[in-house]
Amino acid sequence: MQPSAAFAHALNDSIGVLPLWSWAAVTAALVLFLLALPFAGFATFIERRVAAFFQDRLGPNRVGPEGILQFPADAVKMLAKEDFIPAGADRFLFNLAPLLVVVGALSAFAVLPLGRALIGADLNIGVVYVLAVTTLIPPGILLGSWASQNKWSLLGGLRAAAQIVSYEIAVALALVPPILVSGSLQVSTIVDAQGWAWGAENAANYHFWNLFYNPFTFVSAFVFFIAGLAETNRIPFDLPEAESELVSGFNTEFSGMRFGLYALGEFGDVFVMCAMFTALYLGGWQVPFVNLETFWIALPALVIALIHLTMFMAKTLSLVFIVMWLRWTLPRLRVDQLMGLCWKGLVPIALFNVVGTAIWMWVFHGQSLPQLLAKAFSG
Amino acid sequence: METGFINAFWYILISAAVVPLMLGVGALLRPKQKSKGAEAMAYECGEEPVGSAWVQFNIRFYVVAIVFIIFDVEMAAFFPVAITYKDAVMNGNVALVFGEIFLFVGLLVIGLLYCWVRGDLEWVKGLMPTSTRGRG
Amino acid sequence: MTVGLKIVLAAAQILTVLSAVAVTFHPNILYASIALFFAFCGVAVMFVYAGADFLAGAQLIVYAGGVTILVLFAIMLTQWLYKSKLRDIRMRVVAPLALIAPALTYGLCVALRGLGDHVLKTTPANFEAFSSAPKTMPIGQALLTNYLLPFEAITILLLSALVGGVWLARPK
Repeated sequence: MQPSAAFAHALNDSIGVLPLWSWAAVTAALVLFLLALPFAGFATFIERRVAAFFQDRLGPNRVGPEGILQFPADAVKMLAKEDFIPAGADRFLFNLAPLLVVVGALSAFAVLPLGRALIGADLNIGVVYVLAVTTLIPPGILLGSWASQNKWSLLGGLRAAAQIVSYEIAVALALVPPILVSGSLQVSTIVDAQGWAWGAENAANYHFWNLFYNPFTFVSAFVFFIAGLAETNRIPFDLPEAESELVSGFNTEFSGMRFGLYALGEFGDVFVMCAMFTALYLGGWQVPFVNLETFWIALPALVIALIHLTMFMAKTLSLVFIVMWLRWTLPRLRVDQLMGLCWKGLVPIALFNVVGTAIWMWVFHGQSLPQLLAKAFSG
Repeated sequence: METGFINAFWYILISAAVVPLMLGVGALLRPKQKSKGAEAMAYECGEEPVGSAWVQFNIRFYVVAIVFIIFDVEMAAFFPVAITYKDAVMNGNVALVFGEIFLFVGLLVIGLLYCWVRGDLEWVKGLMPTSTRGRG
Repeated sequence: MTVGLKIVLAAAQILTVLSAVAVTFHPNILYASIALFFAFCGVAVMFVYAGADFLAGAQLIVYAGGVTILVLFAIMLTQWLYKSKLRDIRMRVVAPLALIAPALTYGLCVALRGLGDHVLKTTPANFEAFSSAPKTMPIGQALLTNYLLPFEAITILLLSALVGGVWLARPK
């Protein structure tokens, strides 16, 4: 039985109100409505506060304490706005496009490892699942921009589709080194392999974070992060929404809640990108140097789950903050620089990292740099 | 079917339900009023739109899509081989799998270099007789 | 298999068939290509039910993500094409072909049966165990042993496809 399923069983035994099959639906609803949606809303508020901080002004601070109720207010405002579809637009595709974007971003939450026992669906093709469902996003953006019957939208949509598919190659190649290292596509296996603890008896099989596995994975992590920024249309890769040239790019004609859905898709995608980075390179839920399962006192499962969740969210949200930080640090790229960076920069580097990691594993028999150093120091 | 997919189906189903839910709640809250005439026009910074927005566009997007799809297929074929590598390292028959990975990456690099040298990866091309109408 | 799972499977099958019909008969080529996208997604769900989890992912990545974008770009590249009606040519060319489809399906079934035990031996009794086992590792091992030569051939084929495709798209 999977740990996540065992956790559901334990909960069911202690509460026992719902039939067992419904736990899958309940957890999915909980993760999406208590994590994904509030995160997207809260991120819009935090982003504005972060922007204000970097520009030495106050930002939204009027609604509620420190402006914390700004995003519910925004949500209500969006809900109350007119549901606008421009004349001459293709209504069917105009409705379909946000659906594809939202499904593409939110259904990827299923495999995010929030904790050892807190994975929605611990698929053995987990990494491929994320790549697979997020491929719904570029067709959605392209169709929505085309359906708007607006020239700015179409230009933005074309740029977005070309950019996302190009950088998807870089993302996929940057996923390969962790996969080589842990020999699995399952997210929980990849995270487990990074749980190296001081004095653990199975230290030979477990290495430290993939980020420090060897120099190649270190570079690969940066390739993944940069390509992930481009996949989520964040600055410096926000050409599809470049406000100084394309009004608002592919979502120009989407207003009110429809725009809100695009924003939900974008921030959901940012969270997924940062969470996958955490899982693949930063050890996911692992507490550095400590293995909670083999701790010197036995901790209850709920405490372990909470510690895992805290670690995972701390790492992921730090990355989200870096993404926002970059927005006010870097200028936007030009289109030709964008494509050049992908095909002439990130893809060759990522290919080099794949071969480099393979050679490292062959030479050092699958041991990581921290393990080799620890061995050297301990004699 | 792997049992985890049942959970994944729920995620897909619920995230698909988010969209009609949001739009439906909005429909209950807002006043029933529709923009007409100039208000409903596509936004082009105040100018009246000239012609259809559904224009032909540049062929370079198509080149990007071709290069992408080739790499995509190669990635899909490469993932299963990649996950056998760790076992191969542990069990000693690493040379075959490494040779496979090396050959694979090598061929990708050759294809990439070909496009690079022939200028297919350049976004701004010197002479593009067909691109006068298209914009990017 | 529970009732809920059967409903999902039936929905995927209906989606696939209806989308395939729309691909064939929809007068607007853009809508036809979107229907193709949904047909790809439906097939991916069926792969999941058959226990071919990795293939389902690859199906979505390569077809739903890659081929759809390629087709959409190709349509938008050819001016006015997406404004013209395709019904006439469809009726003349595709409709007769659609009539042969049942015959082709029957032939395919016969051919599959000809493959014998290897395909059909997965009886419902051991199907549960078979389909819930991970498939990615066996695929990788097969590609490195029995199917090493086809794998290499595919790599070289893809390389030539890349060179040829880029050459064709080059302005002359």
